[in-house]
Amino acid sequence: MAEEIRAEIVGSILEVNTREGQDLHQRQTVMVLESMKMEIPVTTEYAGRLRRLAVQEGDTVIEGDLLAIVD
Amino acid sequence: MTAIVESNQTKSAPADRIRAMADPSTIVEQQHRDGAVWATATIQGVPSVLFTLDHRTRGGAMHEGNCALIVAAYQHALAHRLPIVGLWQSSGARMQDGVHSLHAVAKVFQVMILASGRVPQISVVLGPAAGGAAYGPALTDIVIMAPAARVFITGPTIIRDVTGEQIDDERLGGPGPHSNASGVTHLAADSQDHAFEQAAALVELLGAPGRCDAELAVDRPFSGLLPERSQRAYDIHPVIDRILDAPLIELQPGWARNVVTGIGRLGGGTVGVVANNPLRKGGCLDARSAEKSARFVRMCDSFGIPLVVLVDVPGYLPGVAEEWGGVVRRGAKLLHAFGEATVPRVTLILRKAYGGAYIAMNCRGLGADHVIAWPQAEVAVMGATAAVRLLHRRELAAEPDRATLEARLVEQHVRSAGGIAAAAELGVVDEIVHPDRTRHALALALAALPAARGSHGNIPL
Repeated sequence: MAEEIRAEIVGSILEVNTREGQDLHQRQTVMVLESMKMEIPVTTEYAGRLRRLAVQEGDTVIEGDLLAIVD
Repeated sequence: MTAIVESNQTKSAPADRIRAMADPSTIVEQQHRDGAVWATATIQGVPSVLFTLDHRTRGGAMHEGNCALIVAAYQHALAHRLPIVGLWQSSGARMQDGVHSLHAVAKVFQVMILASGRVPQISVVLGPAAGGAAYGPALTDIVIMAPAARVFITGPTIIRDVTGEQIDDERLGGPGPHSNASGVTHLAADSQDHAFEQAAALVELLGAPGRCDAELAVDRPFSGLLPERSQRAYDIHPVIDRILDAPLIELQPGWARNVVTGIGRLGGGTVGVVANNPLRKGGCLDARSAEKSARFVRMCDSFGIPLVVLVDVPGYLPGVAEEWGGVVRRGAKLLHAFGEATVPRVTLILRKAYGGAYIAMNCRGLGADHVIAWPQAEVAVMGATAAVRLLHRRELAAEPDRATLEARLVEQHVRSAGGIAAAAELGVVDEIVHPDRTRHALALALAALPAARGSHGNIPL
């Protein structure tokens, strides 16, 4: 069952420190969002493989935008 | 109020369910009516009342007989000031009895409402609980759903007929949607037994709260829990668990996650925790999290459960959706809840508390009993950068080397603001405490405060 990681808040992608295909542990940071003058780590709820990164550094996102898919 | 539901999957008898919930040797069945039963028992040693309908008879439909039994259980709980646990699996009001059963269900609601805030009421939903059997649990303080729980007012069949929407009963009203979308359930258990365990743990915490003993709240190190960079968000859960004697029982963990609400013990006494979670939406307050917090604060206040409020909040979440969604109306609930609370309530400001969100998070002005702050904490109308950009916008607009000027102005601003010491001088912070002394400082504050409890109900906000 794939987990869709979506933006919880409007912001911009500050840092993507993972790559597609990478194995992730539970609550691992997939990327960092900048919003409200803060750097907010975006984490995966479940352990799995990072199937797809839907954004890259510098992109702006709004609440609900797909950020990544974890398998 | 009726609904057409599939017949239940779980077959355990009502008496078995009560036995699974309570300390078995203490159960005294008080009354039976059409398979429904209410009993007195201890739950984790706490004298309590339990009731259950019989889901094996007409889907557990509610009618005069079994509703009168629930009312009797409540009257006993009220007379003896006992927590009351309802085990729910019912198709709602019995259709064949028409208005008689609606009337009976209404009388159950009435007694629950009269009991609201007087005795802790916990609902464990074990299967389908529709219509009247949805509003029953909804009127209680805490709703726990087992995996087979299905809660809704109108079910998939009627919805399909009226609106054309196609959805199965689990996606409509199972523990998943009620944990994450609606906020109807406080806890979604892994199994029926797990649901009983959680209910029992909460009865113990709410029914036998005890008092915080500061001697038992030995300090623990807090360094390393927060990131070095002050702009980096972090998960508040490890901080909460470091403060409490044992990990929190979090209520509504999947809903309005930007605030964490839950119950645990500090120094052996039950406390309710309300904490911003910077990892979610930067920790911003919004309409939903304010509403979630407000209800939780009022529940704790009703039962004399002291509050520990952990603050790291940059403000309210901006947006049209928030404004149209009623952040003004729903945020006011949190202001009211704290302002009204007479229970001991202690605040800890970890990193920042800005603007109206500072006010809403149990500040001195709203009657907090004791406000502690870490040395690097900031209490301000807004962050320094935002303030400088606002106050000096013309100057900055005219300046070719904006970045350097802004940096200088920010540094000036921070210096003249005076840090947390200025807030202490003003009297909105009582004590500046090194993080490693947090646990004991909170416990001392709580232990020094006389017990108190609000004299209001716990309306489901």
